[in-house]
Amino acid sequence: MITTKDLTKTYGGQIALDHLNLNVKAGEIYCLLGANGAGKTTAINLLLGFIEPTSGSAFINQLEVHKNPKATKHFLAYIPENLMLYPSLTAVENLDYFSGIAGKKLSSAALKDVLEESGLQPDAFDKRISTFSKGMRQKVGIAIALAKDAKVLLLDEPTSGLDPQASNEFGIVLQKLKTKGVATLMATHDLFRAKEIGTHVGIMKDGQLKQEFVVEKITLSELEKCYLDTMKYEKESV
Amino acid sequence: MFKYNFKYELKQLLRSRWIQLMSALLLLLFGFATYNGLQKVEERNAAITTAQDKARENDKIMVKLLDSLDRELEVSIPSWRHPTNPMVIGNSYPRVAAMPAETFAFVATGQSDMFTHYKKPEVYGFSFIEDFTEMTSPVQLLFGSFDLAFVIVYLLPLLIIAFSYNVLSAERESGSLRLLGAQPIRIETWVLQKLGLRFLWLSVLVILTLLMVFLALGIPPLNKMKAFLGLISMVLAYALFWFALAFLINLWVGRSAKNAMSLLGLWIVFVLLVPSVINQMGSTLYPLPSRALMINEMRGTQADVLKNVDEILDNFLRDHPEYAVNDTTLQRNYWHSFMVAQKVIREELQPVLDNHDQQLRKQQDWVTQFKWLSPAVVTQEALNQMAGTSSQDYENYRQQVLDFSHEWRNHFVPMVYNNTVFSKEDIENLPHFEYQPLKGTFTGALFTVLGLSLFVYLAGILAYQKKSRDIILKTE
Repeated sequence: MITTKDLTKTYGGQIALDHLNLNVKAGEIYCLLGANGAGKTTAINLLLGFIEPTSGSAFINQLEVHKNPKATKHFLAYIPENLMLYPSLTAVENLDYFSGIAGKKLSSAALKDVLEESGLQPDAFDKRISTFSKGMRQKVGIAIALAKDAKVLLLDEPTSGLDPQASNEFGIVLQKLKTKGVATLMATHDLFRAKEIGTHVGIMKDGQLKQEFVVEKITLSELEKCYLDTMKYEKESV
Repeated sequence: MFKYNFKYELKQLLRSRWIQLMSALLLLLFGFATYNGLQKVEERNAAITTAQDKARENDKIMVKLLDSLDRELEVSIPSWRHPTNPMVIGNSYPRVAAMPAETFAFVATGQSDMFTHYKKPEVYGFSFIEDFTEMTSPVQLLFGSFDLAFVIVYLLPLLIIAFSYNVLSAERESGSLRLLGAQPIRIETWVLQKLGLRFLWLSVLVILTLLMVFLALGIPPLNKMKAFLGLISMVLAYALFWFALAFLINLWVGRSAKNAMSLLGLWIVFVLLVPSVINQMGSTLYPLPSRALMINEMRGTQADVLKNVDEILDNFLRDHPEYAVNDTTLQRNYWHSFMVAQKVIREELQPVLDNHDQQLRKQQDWVTQFKWLSPAVVTQEALNQMAGTSSQDYENYRQQVLDFSHEWRNHFVPMVYNNTVFSKEDIENLPHFEYQPLKGTFTGALFTVLGLSLFVYLAGILAYQKKSRDIILKTE
């Protein structure tokens, strides 16, 4: 579902992403861990087609992103760290708008069902987004992905700044999407959440994917140690 | 996508305080400008009516005097002012050559402040160099009139800029553009639709506001539907240009502040700089002859002519035996010499006058040649034409008055040389002035502005194609 082949991005000689090779299959949640500037967001931006790769290729549902920018977006949904919706529209209206422009026409009842499935409280459906907390906005983002029936979900630090309960609820919804066969790539700093909901974890540093793990084959403490060792090496090398 | 953009953009606009404020501001500006324009037109019409009333009163006095003189009654004015003398009629009982206001004159009153709208050509004097400009308030000359044309040409673009400068950048800055960019849509189409809907909204607002203002101020638009539709289409074409410019800047520039500065810069270029440069270059390349020099030249010619006036008169009468029938040297008076002197002076000054007209025509041709560089110039000119206050309208009026002045003087020539006594029966044969307005069309202006809008739109598409890859994340 999500594949990158030697995906590389440089900015004036500065390497942001260095020959990234990834393969996230349907029903997998791949968590990219790494410090700020490790290349996680660059990888997501390349998969979204927001920037052009210097070399290599990115594929969504076997379509090369940079040759089919519009077509690949039919299959993917994206939730950034700070999901900004239209503050003067309600949750239902925002969902209707984003699913509508993506080509999915849903009835009013269907829109509410999707919002409910995303974990949003029914009394918030008709409230304006300007009154929503970050956690509530992320749920609307999930609802947009659900409404779009996306096969691929790209998440850029979606739980950053969420309280533990909201973060937990977000994890539950991701698990649901996993069972529906959605391939998820999530950039995060949250080791605990990555271990809890991820199927695979990759640790990035200096634009390179340093280590990869299958989550069920590693404990949280081992993961933490590996992560810290990588970061320690980074500090020493600095 | 269009259906959803339309539905939700409209909802957002309706819920926006800024839009409500802008609608109120537009209503206020249009209302005040129309009221102001109507006041100016009323002043203009009142001045014409006063002059015409005064002329009618004068005519009544003339009839009474002629009647009394006919019955050989004594009158209270000296004999040299008796209206039985044709030259007294020609000088003291002139007709009013008025340029009445067109129905939509209130739309653009700017030029009307600087020109006179009625003249009373007399036989005496040098009407061919007559000044048609009027002294007006220097403050008004500095700032111009606050009429509809001013609101449309100068202020409407500023409202459009405030309404459209950050259509894309605000989405980028708030973060929602990343979410939009992840949808299977073309961003340039999305921006175009969003601006298109705002244009549509503004169009409805402009039409409703103008309708409301016109009805409130007693100008029924239905009676002049064609002119009203013309006004609306010109305003909307001009607004479309500014929306097209906003489209280009949104796709080409970046941050909201930069967009706003760029659009304001372009406003200065198109609304202030280009018109000034075109006019200034026209005046520099084709300067009008100095009016003071022309008057000096006329005085010199007059002095020369007066030295030989008897000889000139003899020659004239030889060439016009029909005027020499009753001629005897004893009967010749001041007016005989004056008439012929006028003719000679006019002939001698004709090259200077032709040069003036030619330079004026060249200036106008220059402006016409380059006016398309600024939609503001094209729109202002179209609105002036619609209002009947354009340079061409005033030039047309000037020519008609000069022709009438000539006709008025010539009417008295045979009377003077034949020593005719003016009687009541001659009143109905006096030349009468009726202004013939130009039948101007602004279709050309409309298509010019639409063409410029299309050009700017295509430049926007080109800008997008060059920068489409970094349009979502661009920070500069």
